[in-house]
Parts: sequence; C-alpha cells; structure tokens
Amino acid sequence: MIVPQKLWRKPLDAEKIKTPKAEIHIIKDLCKGCGFCIEFCPKKVLEKSDQLNKKGAYPPKVTDESKCALCGFCTAICPEFAIYTVEKKCEEGCENGRKK
Amino acid sequence: MEELRIGVYVCHCGLNIAGTVNCEEVAKFAATLPNVVVAKDNRYTCSDQGQELIKNDIKEHKLNRVVVASCSPRLHEPTFRKACEEAGLNKYLFEMANIREHCSWVHLHEKEAATEKAKDLVRAAVAKVALLEPAVEAEVPILRKALVIGGGVAGIQAALDLADTGYKVYLVEKEPSIGGRMAQIDKTFPTMDCSICILAPKMSDAGRHPNIELLTNSEVQEVKGYIGNFKVKVLKKPRYVTKDCSACGDCSDACPITAPNEFDIGLATRKAIYTPFAQAVPSTYIIDREICLNKEGIMACDKCIKACERQAINFDMKPKTLELEVGTIIVATGADVYDPSALLNYGYTRYPNVITSLEFERLINAGGPSGGNLLRPSDMKIPDSVAFVQCVGSRSEKGNVYCSNVCCMNTIKDSLLIKEHWPHIKIYVFYVDIRAFGKGFEDLYRRSKEEGVIFIRGLPAEVVEDRKTNNLWLIGENTLQKEIYKISASMAILSVGIEPCQDSDVIQRLFTLSRTSDGFFMEAHPKLRPVDAPTGGVFLAGCAESPKDIKDSVTQASAAAARAGILMAQGKVTVEAITPKPIPENCKLCGLCTQVCPYNAITIDKEQKLVEVIEAACAGCGTCGAECQFDALHMRHFTNDQIIAQIDALTEEDADKKIIAFCCNWCSYAGADFAGVSRMQYPTNVRIIRTMCSGRVSQKFIERAFARGAGAVLVAGCHIGDCHYINANHQTQKRMERLWKKMERVGVDKNRLHLLWASAAEGERVASKVREMHTLLDKLMPEEVEKSKKAFAGS
Repeated sequence: MIVPQKLWRKPLDAEKIKTPKAEIHIIKDLCKGCGFCIEFCPKKVLEKSDQLNKKGAYPPKVTDESKCALCGFCTAICPEFAIYTVEKKCEEGCENGRKK
Repeated sequence: MEELRIGVYVCHCGLNIAGTVNCEEVAKFAATLPNVVVAKDNRYTCSDQGQELIKNDIKEHKLNRVVVASCSPRLHEPTFRKACEEAGLNKYLFEMANIREHCSWVHLHEKEAATEKAKDLVRAAVAKVALLEPAVEAEVPILRKALVIGGGVAGIQAALDLADTGYKVYLVEKEPSIGGRMAQIDKTFPTMDCSICILAPKMSDAGRHPNIELLTNSEVQEVKGYIGNFKVKVLKKPRYVTKDCSACGDCSDACPITAPNEFDIGLATRKAIYTPFAQAVPSTYIIDREICLNKEGIMACDKCIKACERQAINFDMKPKTLELEVGTIIVATGADVYDPSALLNYGYTRYPNVITSLEFERLINAGGPSGGNLLRPSDMKIPDSVAFVQCVGSRSEKGNVYCSNVCCMNTIKDSLLIKEHWPHIKIYVFYVDIRAFGKGFEDLYRRSKEEGVIFIRGLPAEVVEDRKTNNLWLIGENTLQKEIYKISASMAILSVGIEPCQDSDVIQRLFTLSRTSDGFFMEAHPKLRPVDAPTGGVFLAGCAESPKDIKDSVTQASAAAARAGILMAQGKVTVEAITPKPIPENCKLCGLCTQVCPYNAITIDKEQKLVEVIEAACAGCGTCGAECQFDALHMRHFTNDQIIAQIDALTEEDADKKIIAFCCNWCSYAGADFAGVSRMQYPTNVRIIRTMCSGRVSQKFIERAFARGAGAVLVAGCHIGDCHYINANHQTQKRMERLWKKMERVGVDKNRLHLLWASAAEGERVASKVREMHTLLDKLMPEEVEKSKKAFAGS
C-alpha cells in the first residue's frame, strides 16, 4: 500500500469508531455438534466446549464475544437453528456504542 | 566490387591543428596510401567552402569514400556525413580521424611527433574507410498511444498533456486512487496553496478525459517490444464494486471490519469497504479482501451488499490481465519516504510524540484524522513547543547519502502553518544547512525567521523522553555557537527524506532501465536528455528520477510528455545502422550473444535455427559481436575487419613504442576529447580507436594488437554503473579478467594491458593513464615484445 513505514500507531479515532457489539446466543440442547459454526466463523469466535448436551453432542462455546462482527453467518448455516446473534442495545448513558 | 576511390581532407582548423601538425605533410602522406585519389589540406573543412570542396570532389573525382582528418567525430561527424549525402554518397562511407582533440591539442610542443601521429591516425582512418559499407537506416513505425505508469502529480500531468495533444493514454496506478503523495500533503511551498485543492481538479480532469483510460488498482506485469511498439501486460485487480457506485458511503457505515487507513499513515481508521480519501478518483469504493469477512468461496457477511441501494457490490469480480499496445511509455512511479525507526537515537516508534513529517501533514490537514488540529499523540493536546529535526535519512551514511531536496522547504512551510494557527507554539528547527534555492524559497525562509521560528545549526545527537510528561529532550551541539544544547519540546517532527520506490527493481527489470548508486532511475544524459530513459521510447518524470518538489515534477512531466509526443507525432523513428547482422552460416546457436545483450534485442529461434536481431530495440553497443566466437555477428560500421584494419594500420611502424587504446564513444573517448579541449598534455605514443562501447572490444582485437607487436594496450570505458548501454561494460571487465589470466598463462607481462574507467569529464584521468603507461613502455624489453608476438601469433 501507499506507505512503506509500518503502521504502528493506534489510530486517533480507534476509540470513537462505532463497531456494533454482539451478544451470541447458543441454544445448547438443539446443537448436534456438526461444527459448521466453529469452522466457518470468519472471526474464529467459537470453539468446541467439553460439556455434553441432551443430544450427546458437544455444543460450541464463545471464546471472545467482543471479536464477533455480527455477520450472522453462524445463524445462516446452523442446520438445527441452535445459534443466533443480536446487537447489544445501547443503554442510556452509553458512549460510543459501548456500555459504561 | 567497384574500384575504391578515397578522398582525404586534412583540416588546419586555423592554427588549432596547423599550429602543431604539419598538415601539408600529412596530406602528402595520405596521397601515398592505397586507393587514395585525392588528398588535400585546407583551413576550415567544416566551413561551407570546405564542404563544397568535398562535394565537388565526390562528383569530379568520382570519390566513393571520404576521410576528414580534423576534430572529434563527436563534434562534426554529422556535418560531414550530411555533406557526403548531399553529394550523393551514402553517409556510412565517411570516416573521421581525430587529429585535434587527440593530437594537436594534447601535444602542443611536440610538432614532429604530433605530425607522425596524425599520419598514423589518417592511415587508420583510410584503412577503415576502405572497408566501410553503405547502409540504409531502418525505419520503425510508432504507435500513437502512450502508457503512463504512476498516477501521482507527475503521471497525471504527463497523461493530461499527452491526452490534450490528442493521443490515447493509459494511466496505470497501483493504488485504488490516483493522486499519489501530493494528495497526502496539506499545503505546498512556497505559495502555501492547499495541495489537494489544486490537485483535485487535475485528478478529475484525468478521470473524465475522453483520451485517458484510467487503470487504478492495477500493476504492470510484463513489457515486451521496443520503441514505438511496446506490448504491455497490465493486471487489473478487482475492486468488487462496480461503476454504479455513487460513493454515498452507506456500505462503509454498515461494514463491521476496521483497519488503519494507509492514506492517513495509520492515524485514522477505515473499513474493509472504503475509499482512501474524499477526493479519490475514481470515487468508486473498493473492498480490501485481506480483511473482509468474505473469503474465496465463503460469503459470511452481506452487510455492505444489503446497504448498497444501487447494488454496486459484486464479490464475483475477477482479476483481469489487459494487453495494451503502446508506442511510448512514461515512468512516473514516484518515491517512498525514509523509515526513521532505523535511527534508534531519535526514538521513533518508542516515543509517541516523535512523528514524521508525513504524519504531520495528515495531522495539520483539515480533512485528516485530527480535523486539522496539531494534536500530540500521547495526550491529544495542542503542544506548547515543537522541534523539527532535518536531514533524517538524508545526507548521512546512516540513511541515504544524497540530499532529498524538499525537506528544508517543507519544514519551513510547516513552521509557518503552525504559526498561522497557533502563534504561541514555540518552534525549533535543527538543521545541517538550510537549502532554500528555488524561486520564492528564500522569502519563505525569511518569513519563517521573522515569525520567530528558531533555527539551530546542528542535529540532535539524541532525543530522550521525559517519562512523566511525555515531553522530549533534544540534546546536541550548536555548531555555530560551539555549545551543547538540551532543549525540551512537547513534540518532535522528523523531516524524513525521500527514497526510491520499493518497486523500483521490478520497474527497472521490466523496462531495462538503469539506476544511479542512489537507486533512482538514470536519464540518458544528465544535462541534455534529462527526461529520456536510456531505453528508446521510455521517458522519466517525477521522483522516480530523483527527489524533487511538485513544481519540478510537473515541469518534468510536461517535458516527458513533449518528448513522447515528438516521437508519436513523427509516427516513425530511424535506427542508426550500427546494429548487428547475423551470419547464419557461421552461427552455432550457442546463445552467448543473447545472454550479454543488455536490451534483450537478440533472440534465438530454435525451430528456424536462426538468430534474430530486433533492430529497434538494439542500441548498437556491439557487446554481442565481441562475445561471438564464430564471427557470426556482423557489427555494422564497427565490424571485426574494420577494427582489425585500424589496429594493423596503427601498428605498421614502431609498434613496440605505441599504446593502442580502445575508447568507448560516450565516456572515455569523450574524456580524451575533454583532455584535448583542456589542453592537457600527455605523451604522443597513444593511438585511440573509437568503439561505441567498451563492450565491443573483443579479446581478439587486443590479441591482434599484441601479435602485431604493440607495446601496450588500453581499454577504456564508462565507470561501472554509468554505462550508456545499461551494463555492457560488465562484459568488458569479464573479458579483461579472462585475458589477464591468459597473459599470465602464456608468460606475457599482464601489466601491458590496462583497463580504465573514465567519464566524459575525466580528461585528466585519461591523460595520467597515458603518462603512466608511457613510463612502462620505456622499460619494455624487445624480448618481451617478441614473446607476446609469438604467444598471440595467428590472432
């Protein structure tokens, strides 16, 4: 790209940038353990948990919710409708889309 | 074959030659040489009467070869060639003997020896002229389309000029938008115009000009062909956004992925779908697939697609390779800035408040990340004092040794900008020298001093941070007052230098260009052809050639456009008939010639078993001819036979007392001319044979000279890196090393063969080399000469 020097500085607007924050909901007992959501999550937010569910599968667990970009791809590919994401509501007094 | 009828004209050049050389005697001597039917001496052969004399004699005496013994062929060869042509004689049947620069002027007080030398030189010229062949210069058509590489201000200007002249132009830019460095800068010196305000209209002109095809996000991959007929492959990378984009920015708002914006040097963020800056041309957005959630084959996120009302987003776009055919090419690939993190004593990247001048430009720019407020990064407050450090990465062994040309004035401009917005900020400038050399520059410098900017001579040895306040201590020596300073500033701005673009080596390879030791592209002639590249049909503009400011870049761009325009307006170009002709009967298809050609102008057709020369690409250096062991390349106008005839003529008498010198036309022959013009005196026993390049000097020429009993041989060429045929003199060096080894093997003193690199300005270097070799000849034993005669007999 245009600048050869490495981009090492934190952008001045890094704090102000509004990126939506996600809440990831997993309905554990619906999961059949196919692993699609884990494999295809572009931000690699999910991993296999070690807790068995009613179906005898290991549902996914969230490693870092803040990394989720709310693309909704996990919801789209889950064959059992076991995962969905919602944008965190910004409460009153909330700054830059983030809870105080 | 027709009977040879040679006319010889010995010029007095007033007293310039006749003052030392007995011209009458030389003319009488010439008359005794084989095939000479007319030999005359006259006062000024180059005058109209002198030329008329030649023309009349050609008609009257049916001359079919002409020799003029006068000044350097670099001066008057074109004059006499034209006279011959006017009398109906092919201009390639003319030869010159240089008895002024290489004889009378350098042997002012040795009249007899100089006259003998002049006779020798005439003898050699007559020997060569007898073997010359008439030639017709090939004509090459020139396509009336141009390619401009690089969409900075130089590229834009060149493209606009050519397009306005009426030629079709392809403008290739690797970034998503044209504009280059100038778009990043806030104000320009010395007039303090807003940079983008004056650039943006040019950018949009280029964007919508009917004759310009803009190829952004594209890179040149392959260049084939030659002057007038280049075939260029350009890879056009997909933007994933179609031309329907209205640049509303809804997609960008919806995009969940952020990254530092390269245009703002990471001081601001951008999204995965973005436009680098507001005035970008084309304004079409672009998707950075490196960070976009959608990878090849997996569409995870469709937020931008949903947000785009005009449905302009298309993830199925594929890279395209365009094949363009153009007649001329302008290289305006620009420059990079020096990365100061290598200079540990300045603490860049360790201390947040040490910034570069380019970062400063983005901070002070109203459209930049801080809205035009000069905020220091550690606490986002306006600083009380700032320090500019000059020559960061320039004029020093630590970075680059050259001066980057623009940094002094840029700092002065920046200091005035700060004073304009925040007069209370104290400004220090630490410098080595302030170079305010241009129009209006000194005024600006004076204004800056009047505004209270403090200029301190002596760069800081070190910048140290105060941990509590994040202020900086600049410690160094004030060399004007001879005292140590320790000055505190809230912020330090490193005035970084300009470096050759990182892609320079790729561009160099693609276009067979050459670069100076600094890494910038070299022009064909530094004074008189400053925008021509050594490769025909290729021109240079902007910082690709050397660091320069906007005005110089624009000037050079217009010059390059004019030069390219001349070629395209003529529609054709003639190639000097000094290119090689393959002799298929002798050729063994070994391929050595193709390997040494600096221009890739020789190819082997394996199926047809033929060597082919692309005449328009060939520059006529003759390196291939020297490399060929089988006499399979006939180097026109500098054939093996012709050069050997010269060697034989010069070694006919007293060979052991003589130095046979081979000098290349551009540097060392010109250097010897310069020695003449400067009247540098040196011994009379050197005899210079001119070749276009030292690469033409075949091993067998040198061996022939020794076999004929020559006392010593000198091969002289341009300095390594300055060769006028890109790098042909590397071959010279290799051949010389081979020959030195051979001399050792056969027991001949290898000190009798010298190699000299001398530029056109180094007359004294040539003269002192001759003096040095002359002392060797004094000690040369007859047995040694006999030994070399025997060792190289038969060559």
